[in-house]
Parts: sequence; structure tokens; C-alpha cells
Amino acid sequence: MKSITSAKSNQAWIYLFPALLLLTLFLFIPALMSIYYSLTDYNMLAPQARLFIGLKNYLTLFKDPIFLKSVRNVAQFVIFVMPLQVGVALGLALIVNKKRPGNTFFKISFFAPVVVSLVVTSVLWLYILNPEQGLLNGVLNQLGLPSQPLLTSPKQAMFAIIGLSAWQGAGYQMLIFLAGLQNIPNEIYEAATLDGAGKWEKFRHITLPMLKPTSLMILTTTFIDAFKLIVQPMVMTQGGPMDSTITPVYYIYRTGFTDRQLGYASAMTIVYGVAIILFTVIQRKVTGAGGDNDDR
Amino acid sequence: MMTGSQKARFAKTLISTILITLLAFLFLFPLIWMIVSSLKPEAQIYRDIGSFKSFLPSLDVGQWGNAYSSLLKRFNVFLYMLNSLLYGLGVTAGSIIVNSLAGYAFSKFRFRGRKLLFNIMIALLVIPGETIIIQKFQITRSLGLLNTPFAVVFPAMAAPFYIYMFKNFFDAISNDVIESAELEGAGMFRIYWRIMLPMAKPAIATVGTLSFIGSWNDYIWPLMVLTDTDKFPLQVAITNINNTQPVYMNQVMAILTLSTIPLILIYVFFQKYLVQGIGASGTGEK
Repeated sequence: MKSITSAKSNQAWIYLFPALLLLTLFLFIPALMSIYYSLTDYNMLAPQARLFIGLKNYLTLFKDPIFLKSVRNVAQFVIFVMPLQVGVALGLALIVNKKRPGNTFFKISFFAPVVVSLVVTSVLWLYILNPEQGLLNGVLNQLGLPSQPLLTSPKQAMFAIIGLSAWQGAGYQMLIFLAGLQNIPNEIYEAATLDGAGKWEKFRHITLPMLKPTSLMILTTTFIDAFKLIVQPMVMTQGGPMDSTITPVYYIYRTGFTDRQLGYASAMTIVYGVAIILFTVIQRKVTGAGGDNDDR
Repeated sequence: MMTGSQKARFAKTLISTILITLLAFLFLFPLIWMIVSSLKPEAQIYRDIGSFKSFLPSLDVGQWGNAYSSLLKRFNVFLYMLNSLLYGLGVTAGSIIVNSLAGYAFSKFRFRGRKLLFNIMIALLVIPGETIIIQKFQITRSLGLLNTPFAVVFPAMAAPFYIYMFKNFFDAISNDVIESAELEGAGMFRIYWRIMLPMAKPAIATVGTLSFIGSWNDYIWPLMVLTDTDKFPLQVAITNINNTQPVYMNQVMAILTLSTIPLILIYVFFQKYLVQGIGASGTGEK
């Protein structure tokens, strides 16, 4: 193909400069820094006394009960929030895909929580889930059911966060599923009806297979995003009770920012960051998304 | 008169509509409760809790604004809104310019190392930004940006994914357009500014909307880099208000409601571009 004359090609760097500068400063260098810091005992309270300590941070990390707990917690979050949120989103999309009176109202209702930011969601649910004066226990009592400890219980806190996260996010994925559903040609359904296929058979043999690319994309992005959970526990529980809602990203923040232990936090960044990168690479292989289509 | 089968169908539609309405209520009740509680005296919220009255506003319409006016007297909510708006607009404008310039360079220039650089950038896409906030904070501090608006805006501007989006968009614009403009004596910047950008309006709208919402909702980064209360964006101010004694539930509900209104407007007016962004990307949930 033809392109701009090569004499002008060096001009390109002028156009690239702002983006490259910002990406270098705020993405590339921080990533490199975390490798170096992770091998030191860098503490921001005593920055002069930085010593190279090799892999000691990593050895400590794998014996750190809070870090291990945080990994278990986030695994619990991922395992439950994924099927819940994606399943609900698919159900909602199937509901609003049908023509019925009030459809626009239903669509807006299901989407409404998406508009609310994570901070607003967290603070709002803090009041809904308040064990003494909260809305949820109020309703339970009204129905003759006992009050639940909710966020104050190490057993229930993470499930509460799972529930409200799914509430907030499902409407967004409903829209993506809906776009997928509307791409399925109507003729296929009509042909199946002529062949005497029932509703369930049409769903199983047409809708589900045709939605496979959409579902795969939604499942994998939810999976990776769920590993980055931090705002809800930070605002609602500060990781408690008894570290039952602390997550790795939140623990990195606490160690590096609140406790100023940069070296140790960097080791966590590397271990957890590399894990997420591996998942992302696998996701790209599975969905074929974000690849390099620049073969000209 | 309805026949039997008509009756059965009517009953079925009625039941399913009732069930779906209940489901819709499940999604709406927290938001209804938030808005309604912001319109009630504190004591009445607690009196009503659990009964259906918790979802109905008080009958005394004249009192509805009380929590709002007390909130505005205690906290400079308009300043927080203005801060959020300015940070949001800064990030949006910066993101559109910086990323479209880079996308233009990758799409329409042939230079040494172009492919390598582009691949490195795509590779950077996998770095989870959330895990490097501590190191990013160190950089921001050594640049002397802490507690300035720049600390909020600069790190949020350049994004490999948006560069990728712009590049794809520019790739679709024929090179003939550029060549004929060049023949007429237009320079590359003029071509970018006068031809490419105007043609890339859909990409601009998508990148702009996503950038603005991302900036408006961002919490942890501004919380880390800003120390002066009067520089806080809304999201940080919300948790600050929720932790400043005495805490009144109706005032908290009022700030939650106020901070959501601008986002409702954005979603209503820019919904089209958001869905395009999702479809194009496969990344989401910001």
C-alpha cells in the first residue's frame, strides 16, 4: 500500500510524544520500579536505609497469612460473582428482548444500578446492610425473620459484597447480551418453529450456541475485573471483619501506601500482577480479542 | 367476551408482567430508598424502616429540601462537583488529543520501529493498573505533582486501548484523502486537525464518554494524591462526608443522589457511544 512520503516519517515522533511520555511515566516506569523495589527493604519512613535483600520479600509473602487470606477472599469473590452476575445478566437480556408492555421501563430499571458509581453503591449498601438500623434487616424483621449480622460477620461479609457487586454490574452485561441476542437472525427461529421445536429446544440449540462469543467475552472480562476488587471492601469493611474481605489489591494499597512498606508491597505487585497478566493472556487466546491485526 | 384460550394467554401475560415488575423492583429498591430517604427527616427514615413506607416520600412536601439545605450548609458540595467536572473535562480533552495523535501516527506514518512500538503498546495493555498504584504514586511525588489537579489528570490521559481504537478508526480512512490534501499543500498537522479528527467523531465520542465516566467515578487515585479537602472530587468527598461527625443518614443520601444526577445525564445523552465502545473493545466495567 501507499503511505505518507518517507521524508515525513520522522515527524511521527512528534505526534507520538505526548502519549509515549505519559505511558512511560505512569505505566512503564512504575512497572519496572516494582521489580527493583521488590528486591529491597525500601520503607518510605526511612528511605535512606534501603538495602538490597534479594528474594526475601517473596519468601515472606508466601508465608504471610494476610496475603494468603486475601487471595482466598478474592477467589471466593470471583467464583461466586461470575456465575451470579453473568447468569442474571443473561436472564435479564432474555426478558427485555421479548416484546411486552412496559419493556422500556424494565430495561431502564435493570440498567439503573450501572449508572451509580462504585463509591455511591458501597456507601448506599452500607446503610442498607447496617445490622441494627439497616433496611434489609428491617424488611426481614417485618417478614418475621431474624436479623442477620451481614457485614459484621466474617462468614457473610464477602457474600454481601458479592451480592451488591452483581446488583451494580449485571445491567451493563445485560446490554451486551441484548446486542448479541439481536444479532441472531429471526429466520433461524422461524425455521425451528416450523420443524416443531419448543421454546426450550430453541433456547438450547439456537440462542445459547449463537451467544457463545458474547458469553465468552463477558465471562472472561468479568473474571479479570473481579480480581481487581478493592473499592467495595475499602469503603464498606476496611477488609474486615477478621480480614474476611481483604483483597490482594487492597492489601497492596495498605502495605505500600498506609504502612509505607514499598519494598514488600512491590513484591506483592509483581506476584499478583503477573498472575493477572497470565489470566489476561489466556483470555486473549480464548477470545481472540485485542490481538495484532496490523499486517499491512 | 374472551374465549378460554384468550383468557389463559391473558392470565399468563399478567403473571409474567407481575413477576418481572417485582424483579425490576429488586433492582430499583436501593435507589428508590436512597432518593426517598434524602427527602425525609432523619427520625422518620428510622421509623419507616422495613415497612412499605420506607419507599414512599413523606407527605410534607415543604420539608423535602431540608436535608439538602443542611448538607449544602455543612459542605461545599458545589465545589466538589466543580472539581469532579474540571478533572473529568481535563481527562476527557487530554485523552482525546493525546490518544488520537498517537493513533494518527501509528496509522498514517511509516517510521522505523513502528510495528515494534505498537506491539509493545498492545503488550502494555495487560498490565493491571490497579496493582502499580504505589509506584505510580512515587513517580507523581517525585515530579512534584502531589496535591495538584495535574496529579489527577495526567496519569489518566494516555491509554493504549484508546490509541488502538483511534488507530483502527484512522486505518479505515482512505489514504487518497490525505494525498489529495497534500497535493493542495496541506501539512500533516493540518490534515489531522481539519480532516482526520472531524471524520473520527464517533471514536471521539466513545473515547470521550468512557474517559469522562472513568474520571468521574475514580476514587482511589484522587484519594491518594490529593490532601486538601477543597481539591477533592465528589467520590472522595462522599466518603469524607460519610465519615465526618455528626453523620446524618438523610444528608448522606442527599449527597449520593446529587452525585449520581450528572452521570444519569451522561448515560441518557451518550448511551449510543457507550454501547459502541463495549462492542468494539470487550473491556468494560469501569
